[in-house]
Order: sequence, then C-alpha cells, then structure tokens
Amino acid sequence: MQFSSALLENAVNEFARLPGIGKKTALRLVLHLLKQETADVQHFGEIISKMRSEIKFCHRCANVADGDICSICANSMRKQEVICVVENIRDVIAIESTQQFNGTYHVLGGVISPLDGIGPDQLKIESLINRVQKDQVQEIIFALSPTIQGDTTIFYIQKKIQPHTIRITTISRGIAFGGELEYADEMTLARSLQNRLPVESYVANSH
Amino acid sequence: MFHFENLTLVQFKNYASATFSLNERIIGICGNNGVGKTNLLDALHYLCFTKSYFTRDTSNIRQGNQGFRIEGHVNLFDEKEKVACILRETGKKEFLLKDEPYTRFSKHIGRYPCVMIAPDDIQLIIGIPDERRKFIDTILSQLSSEYLQNLIIYTKILQQRNSCLRSITETNNRDFSLLDVLDEQLMIPGSYIFEKRKIFMVGFLPLAKQLYEDIARQPENISLFYNSELMDLSYPELLKMNRAKDLVAMRTTGGVHRDDLELNFNNLPFKQVASQGQRKSLLFALKLAEMEILKNEKKFTPVLMLDDVFEKLDEERIGNLLERVCLLNDGQVFITDTNAIRLEEKLIKLKRPYQMINLNND
Repeated sequence: MQFSSALLENAVNEFARLPGIGKKTALRLVLHLLKQETADVQHFGEIISKMRSEIKFCHRCANVADGDICSICANSMRKQEVICVVENIRDVIAIESTQQFNGTYHVLGGVISPLDGIGPDQLKIESLINRVQKDQVQEIIFALSPTIQGDTTIFYIQKKIQPHTIRITTISRGIAFGGELEYADEMTLARSLQNRLPVESYVANSH
Repeated sequence: MFHFENLTLVQFKNYASATFSLNERIIGICGNNGVGKTNLLDALHYLCFTKSYFTRDTSNIRQGNQGFRIEGHVNLFDEKEKVACILRETGKKEFLLKDEPYTRFSKHIGRYPCVMIAPDDIQLIIGIPDERRKFIDTILSQLSSEYLQNLIIYTKILQQRNSCLRSITETNNRDFSLLDVLDEQLMIPGSYIFEKRKIFMVGFLPLAKQLYEDIARQPENISLFYNSELMDLSYPELLKMNRAKDLVAMRTTGGVHRDDLELNFNNLPFKQVASQGQRKSLLFALKLAEMEILKNEKKFTPVLMLDDVFEKLDEERIGNLLERVCLLNDGQVFITDTNAIRLEEKLIKLKRPYQMINLNND
C-alpha cells in the first residue's frame, strides 16, 4: 500500500496490529476518522488511552474495575459467599449477560497447561485460595472450558481447597439449548446421559 | 455392501488429474516402477482414514503444485456416498462426506474399514513396539470411536504430564500437586485403553496364530502375547513406582504407550530367528486377522489393498494368498504388481470377474 502521508501510514499500521483487523480494514477505519471533526477524534483517542492508563484490576477477583474493587465485588446485593471461577474477563461478561448469576467472580487469567508454559503460579489461584480461607465462602462454581486443561485446572484447585468444607460445583456439560440430538457428538451425548436430570427440576428450570 | 465405485485425483502425488472407475470387486493395478500404483492405493486410504498410510500430507502434493484433491464415490449398503479430501494451498485439510465438511476428522474413522498390506509393513514384525501398538490402535479405533477418543485424550494428557515433569525437574520445584492431578487424569483413559486392548487380544491372538498356521501349512511353534506392565500393576501403582524415574527422564516411562505385542518363534523373538518368508507369513496372518475382526464386528467386509505383495513369495504361497483374499473373502480387493502378465495370469486363474488398470503410458 502506498501512502502520500507518513501520518496516515502510521495510523493504518497501528490499527492493523489489532486482532482481526487487516490492512484494508485499518485503512477504512483511519479514513473514516479523517472525515470526523478534529475534536471528535481527539475525544476518541483520549477515551482509548484513558481506558488503558486508568483501568484497574479488582484486588479480590482480578476482574476489570474502575477502583481497587470492581463493581461486582463492591455490590452488597450480590452473594459474596458464592464465587464463580472463570478463565478471563470475556467469560465474566458472558455470564453477566445471562442475568442468572448473583454471586461474585474470580478471574484466573487462563488455564493450567504445562505444554504452553502455564503452571499454577502463572494464574490467580493463590488469591482464590486466600479468598476461600478468609471470606465465608460457601460455594465455588467452576465455569471453565470443557477441555483437558480446564479439567486439570478444576482438579488442581479442588485439591487445594478440599480441606475447607465448601460446595464445589461445575457448570453442566451436555446438549446445547435448541440443539438437535442427532448433531450432538457422541461424547457430549454420552455425558449428557450420565449426568441426566430429574424432569421436575428440568421443567422448573426452563420456565 | 462396501466398495469404491470411482476415484478422482487432482495434483495428488504423480497425478495431475485422473479419474478411475472401479467396476469390479477384484481390481488389479499394474505398471512400471514410479507410475503411481501405490499412490492410487494411498488415495483410497485417505478416503478411509483421512490421512496417508505412508507420509505427511504435504509430501503428497504433486511437484510444482499447491494443494491436492481426492474424491471418490462409495457404495455402502447400496447407498451412494461422495467423499472428498482436500488439502488447500494454505496447508489446511478439509474432509467432506456427502459435501458436508467434518469438524472432527476422527469421526470419520471406522466408517470405511480398510486393510492395507504394503512392503514396508514388515516393520510390524521386525520393527519397534510403536509399529505394533499403532497396528492394534488402528483396528480398535475402527471398531470404536470411544476408543479413539480415549487414545486422543490419553496422548494429550501424556504431553501435558511430560511438560510438567520437565518443568519440575528443570526448576527443581518439589511441588508435586499438579503432577498428582495429571496422574489421576491420565489413569482414566489409560485404564480404559488397557482394558479394551486386553479384551481385544483374547480374540485376536488365537485368530492370528491360526491364520499363520494356515499360511505356513505346517505346525510351527509360534506364540503371540500382549505385553503390558499393567498386567501386574494397577495404573496408580505403576505411576507411583515410576515417579522418581519419570522425573529424571522428564517423560512418562510407564503406561499403555509402552505396551507391545510380543511375537515369538520357538520361545525366541520372532525377528531374530524367523526367515524372510516366515516373517512375511506372520505379517499376512496379522493383517488377515485384522480383516476377520473388522468384518465380524462391522458386519460387512473391509476393503483390502495389497501393495506389491508377490515379491519374495513362491508360486504356491501366492496362489494360496490370492485364493484366501479373493475367493474366501467377499469384499473389494486391490492388488498391485509391476508385472502385468503375471498379475493377469493369476487373476484369470481365480475364474472371477476382475478389472485391470494398466498405468503404463503405452
């Protein structure tokens, strides 16, 4: 791509470094910004840099926050004694969107995978165990991906908090809602059969 | 029941573009060295197993081209199915059944059972244990997708465990809590694989021994047995016993990935004492036993591919072998040979309809 302006070229290159953005899309975005009022673009830039420099990570759950404690941990209406353990911030947003969870979170920052050089020390596991020890935690809900690494992480943490008598659960795995049985793979189907539900609770939950 | 009706190759090995219609149950393929007899069989193997019998995907692209396509029409219980394997220019492989791409290739394994016998397969007899494990795993995977899934999971956990051993040893960190977790995870698919192999061997080994005696046509003192440390130790015991050794070696030194199928002749290792012909006879016995087992479990006959098997066999043995695979067997059979006249003579003798594919240009 040939540019008549180095300023333009630099901006395009920066946009192109973002995930999912190629050179052409970057150019489109930059040209769009060029059409805007200078003040608007100024505002846009400030918001971005302010976001990065001022954002904090919650001291308790490692979720994104505006202060030392995130809005979820600070909310006295939420059950502090229930912790949902997730891999990353995106998972927090996904679970919050369901509006079904009224506890707090703990963001691990990944899952254990020695092959990728990620051991327990690279994750926020110690702070989770501290929370279990200090706070009056009653239940830990694991909401991790159903992979081998996810399972390793669950078993590892479970062993670490076993001495404390609390409920440890994991989100259920099985047939996707609205999915057709014939398209479910055998492992999922087998697991769904093993962990089948009594119809009373199934019907109660779906309304 | 199950047979291929045609095969189309694009930029695969030495084929720029070619279509073969496969009209008979018995198909002879002849041609000089390097015309592509084995490649044709390997293309069929791709359609059964989503991969090559011999090599990596990229080695199968025709020189100077990028990507390849293999397409075939299969007749399965009188239903026609189109199946295709595409390697894109990017190196990405796609596998389609009835124009529907698979999200997981492992799901295709076992749909089209097939048995290949190729000259290098003699490694099954004289080579390292990996060869024999792979052979057993290929059979069991075709019979049970659950077995294949467990094998895939086992391998993934094994890699994680080996990395974990490495990081413990390298950092000299004496915290074994993660290793304990991985041990427990490994035992689940590991025990499953061991149990399935053990049950399988009970039926398979006597069958292979019987077939060997049929081929040899005289009693010979051979013994075949499944050798696994898990015969004497439970999985937890084995991992516990090996832990110190594992930490030094920085890999898992015991488990189902170390099993072997032991082959003995007069109570000595087969590869040390048996002749070339005896080795080859045992190879056929193992492969024909695979055929039998697949046929019995699947309730239909697998496709059999014989690549250049006549070498080093006397006339009588060739005759016996062909009778067994073409007359006593009711599935589709592909046979390659460099010598068109020899092959044609043999096929005529069988007095069954057959098709000859001559790959020479003349």
